[in-house]
Amino acid sequence: MIQPIGVIHDIGYRHYDGPRLGRGYATTALALNSLRGVFGLGRAARAKIMPFLIAGTMLLPAVVSIAVMALLKERPLAYPGYAVTMQAVLAIFVAAQSPYLVAPDLRFRVLPLYLSRPITSLDYVAAKLVAMIAALYLLLALPLTLMYLGELLIDLDGPPHTGDYFAALGGGLVCAVTLAVIGVAIASFTPRRGLGVAAVIAFYMFTLAASAVFFGVLLSEGHETAAEWSILINPFFLVDAVQVNLFGTEAANGQGYPPGAGPAVITAGVIALALGALVLRYRKAAAA
Amino acid sequence: MTILATEGLTKRFPRVTALDQLTVSTGTGVTGLVGANGAGKSTLIKILLGLLPPTAGRATVLGLDPATDALRIRRAVGYMPEHDCLPPDVSATEFTVHLAQLSGLPRTAARERAADTLRHVGLAEERYRPIGGYSTGMKQRVKLAQALVHDPKVIFLDEPTNGLDPQGRDEMLALIRRIGTEFGISVLVTSHLLGELERICDHVIVIDGGRLLRSSAIGEFTRAAAAVTVEVEEGWDRLAKRLEENGTTVTVDGKTLTVQVAPDAAEPTFDLLRDTVADLELNLVRLEQRHGRIEDVFN
Repeated sequence: MIQPIGVIHDIGYRHYDGPRLGRGYATTALALNSLRGVFGLGRAARAKIMPFLIAGTMLLPAVVSIAVMALLKERPLAYPGYAVTMQAVLAIFVAAQSPYLVAPDLRFRVLPLYLSRPITSLDYVAAKLVAMIAALYLLLALPLTLMYLGELLIDLDGPPHTGDYFAALGGGLVCAVTLAVIGVAIASFTPRRGLGVAAVIAFYMFTLAASAVFFGVLLSEGHETAAEWSILINPFFLVDAVQVNLFGTEAANGQGYPPGAGPAVITAGVIALALGALVLRYRKAAAA
Repeated sequence: MTILATEGLTKRFPRVTALDQLTVSTGTGVTGLVGANGAGKSTLIKILLGLLPPTAGRATVLGLDPATDALRIRRAVGYMPEHDCLPPDVSATEFTVHLAQLSGLPRTAARERAADTLRHVGLAEERYRPIGGYSTGMKQRVKLAQALVHDPKVIFLDEPTNGLDPQGRDEMLALIRRIGTEFGISVLVTSHLLGELERICDHVIVIDGGRLLRSSAIGEFTRAAAAVTVEVEEGWDRLAKRLEENGTTVTVDGKTLTVQVAPDAAEPTFDLLRDTVADLELNLVRLEQRHGRIEDVFN
């Protein structure tokens, strides 16, 4: 006779008496999950195409720049202007991925499941924003760092542009925060992802066109100061202006920006406005 | 032990009063909350979770006030909403793990609990597939799993049998009964069908227009609402006639007879039914205790 070597018990329901962590842990878990999702990780294969295509495009100029540095011994691309040069790519990323962060939770009504857990609607908003800011900062800081490492290794004439590199990293953070807040705020107003994508890209196209038209017309009429203010309608130039005034880098618009605290105040105002809209939006959604 | 209690709880929206001076309390076990659509059931749950502030009055859940201690309450409570609430493009496993983490469980514990809970609600291999492809019954199970995954002390189930076919409904009700007894988790379950709840609840609260109509142990309800549905292949007219001759109240609806059962004469009536059907040599198709509805109790 064969002796039984094991017995299967139905152990029934088991209670959980392990640790229960707090709000900070839950918010971090949501932010990390969202950040992974922005890059399509843990999602279907087609969700990875767009973010990785964009990340590749963001790295391309850095790679080319390293090649030029190695072969021609000159610096083709300055660190501080990277965000402005790549603004279309960054704008597409914000437009494509901000709605992913917020729209499905509204459309499929997942939000009540989050808000019936020990987090507040503010924690939810913070987690989503942190995810988008981190994603954008990765997209900016990665090519800059790659380029800087290249510059260090290739050993060009003169000292490496370390100051410019760190200024671009600082400006990149301002850029990531501004873009993320605007993108997520616009996207949160519709539960439909397609509409969200269209709305964010329309907002960018509008600021791009408006700032270019005003800047061109005012400059040709000789109103230089007004032209310098008007180009700040485009958030990328607004952030670049903050970076120029803060770190003394070269202006990426080839003309210069209004000096002083003006651009920084406007940036802070834009961020505050978008944050306020988000908080109100989710306070309402929590009660619904 | 009091699980939840309200005292003069009132919620007014600009156009409608959802809850009107509601004073109830429930103990452990399974409590049913019955009311027509719009009776204020979902509003009550949202107030108990601290998602809506009451206009007046107060509530406690596990001795805590949702107005000031919402996060502590939500740590110990599970919630299954009435509406769809699942994203289609993730699997049940991933989704449940994620929500377990948001309830504060560390990642490893969240994984174990999610696997355990999904097994308990009856999801097998399909739990690795995206939720978008699930049937309504499977989706309801995922919704229940996410409410249970952090091993709460109390769960609020809002219309858990909505949209289920009769078999799915029975399975869901049996599962809820197990949660209340075997799992030792107190349950507040809402429905607009009293008949469903009488099978699984220890206590039933009936509200209408935000007001308390009745709150009592289940036995008192079933006695009031007793009736038996009889269906035979043919000869229902003869059966009805014979039953009426024997002093029961019978209503005929197509081929189906509904026999009223007096609270104090249940057994003789059941015996009479059985004997009459046998005497007339009829082919019995269905003999079912009719599930009372709120109307039956209050008319």
